[in-house]
Amino acid sequence: MRKLQVFLGPQHPGAPGNVAFLLTLDGERILDVDLIPGFLHRGFEKMMEYRRWDMDLVMSARICVEDPDHVELSYTHAMDQIFGVDPPERAKYARTIVAEFSRLASHLLWMMHFAGPVAARYATSWAIAAREEVLKWFDYVAGHRIYHHYIYPGGVRWNLPKDLKERTLQVLDRVEGLVRDMERGFFLHPVFQRRARDVGRLKASDAVRLGATGPVLRGSGVAHDIRKALKYDAYGMVDFEIPKGEYGDAYDRAMVRLREMYVSIGIIRQAVQQIPEEGPYRWRLPMALPPGEGVGRVESARGEFMTHIVSTTEKPGGRPLEPYRIKFRGPTMAHLTTVLKHIVHNEEITVADFPVVVGSLDPCPPDIDR
Amino acid sequence: MVLKLLGLGFRYLLRRPYTRLYPYKEPPFTTERTRARHLLYMDRCIGCRACQLACPADAIKMYKIEGEWPKNRLKIFPGVDYSRCTYCGLCVEACPTSALVMTDYTMEHLITEDKSTTLYTPEMLAEPPKGEHRVTFTKDLLKPPPQPPPKKGGGG
Ligand code: SF4
Ligand code: SF4
Repeated sequence: MRKLQVFLGPQHPGAPGNVAFLLTLDGERILDVDLIPGFLHRGFEKMMEYRRWDMDLVMSARICVEDPDHVELSYTHAMDQIFGVDPPERAKYARTIVAEFSRLASHLLWMMHFAGPVAARYATSWAIAAREEVLKWFDYVAGHRIYHHYIYPGGVRWNLPKDLKERTLQVLDRVEGLVRDMERGFFLHPVFQRRARDVGRLKASDAVRLGATGPVLRGSGVAHDIRKALKYDAYGMVDFEIPKGEYGDAYDRAMVRLREMYVSIGIIRQAVQQIPEEGPYRWRLPMALPPGEGVGRVESARGEFMTHIVSTTEKPGGRPLEPYRIKFRGPTMAHLTTVLKHIVHNEEITVADFPVVVGSLDPCPPDIDR
Repeated sequence: MVLKLLGLGFRYLLRRPYTRLYPYKEPPFTTERTRARHLLYMDRCIGCRACQLACPADAIKMYKIEGEWPKNRLKIFPGVDYSRCTYCGLCVEACPTSALVMTDYTMEHLITEDKSTTLYTPEMLAEPPKGEHRVTFTKDLLKPPPQPPPKKGGGG
């Protein structure tokens, strides 16, 4: 047997963004895969130690481009703990609505990345059209399309618009229509089913052991969701189910994401009905950061996103406005290392299947490198 | 199944395209809250540098502008380097006199081939953008201003 080593990425169209893989091949079959990260390292954690806590929020959003609001949310939860505040009721709903829209935008972008490699170009366009509706909604609420800086320690940055309910429901109707078409035209399409069924299988016990979270874990049949487990923000006050798969293959993971889009739409619909009409949107926090420690864990579109912040007054040079240390942990590292290696070692994955397997794990390379 | 899919495809064929024909037919999409190019009211600025200290991207530099500025003893005003600015709006929030605001004149209009033109001096920021625009982000958006949290504490 003659082994061949091939680099895939970071510029390869089949690579999921700014990472590379070193594939060890025997003919078409992949025997081993090694992740080569580092192309997107920006040193955020270090930069944040030298900036005020409110500036750090603006930086945090840039850690995961596809799903910035969940990074902001986990940062904000950690900061809320350090300041010892509980956000106002209206802000809790606002955060939930924004976070669910972020999940929708992220899943739609995933859909675009995923449909391309399985040659369903039409589905890519539909996904981008639906995402465009979501991005316009973000511009209307938060003033920006991609990086919103809207979720803020102590609440949300400014009040929600007056016509939120009507406008949000209209946007959701349009997005839901497009998602239904995608379901019929892509997810239930026999060609896609044949392409993704029984590819990249991950058993429930392995998923737990290898540190998988989010739709990858739920695709394997484990109904674990931090939104349900911790009931943070307004998640305790809305009704929703946790979609899960059965076989843990690429198709199940894709279907979990599809059903999560409907779940997100349902959560937002309930939240805009329940949100209090009046009331404060944010508590004013002191500029100086009190000493303390905070951990924010949220269910991002890709899985568990955690932020750990330590603040101390004994910092050398005495910097009372800046945190001592910030550590982020995103879900992607586990998915592209342990989980991907496990799949490749235990199954006959060919080069043509590789984008399907990687795509079904929905990696966000910036959250590996930061 | 095949016929159904063909029907679905045809429906999309007849729809209006989602893409905006920017910049030839349509302007970029903006809303009442879009944060983009700043506008500086030089007569309001007191030269306190709060905007410079609030900027996470170190995009703001203070420039000395000679002239009669009764409110601004130091005669220093902010200038923004748009190759660094992230349009976060923290400078607008920090400004105590509402001298700095943002318009919806988006970065699409600011695209340039010449790197040296990304630097906007205070005089350039004080000049309203040439094209159609509205003032979108002012401190009015933060009304009513946030109050301190009720005493009692609790986890976030
Ligand atoms: S908008 Fe943000 S990045 Fe731009 S100048 Fe103001 S504070 Fe700096
Ligand atoms: S623009 Fe506002 S914050 Fe900046 S120096 Fe002038 S008064 Fe101070």
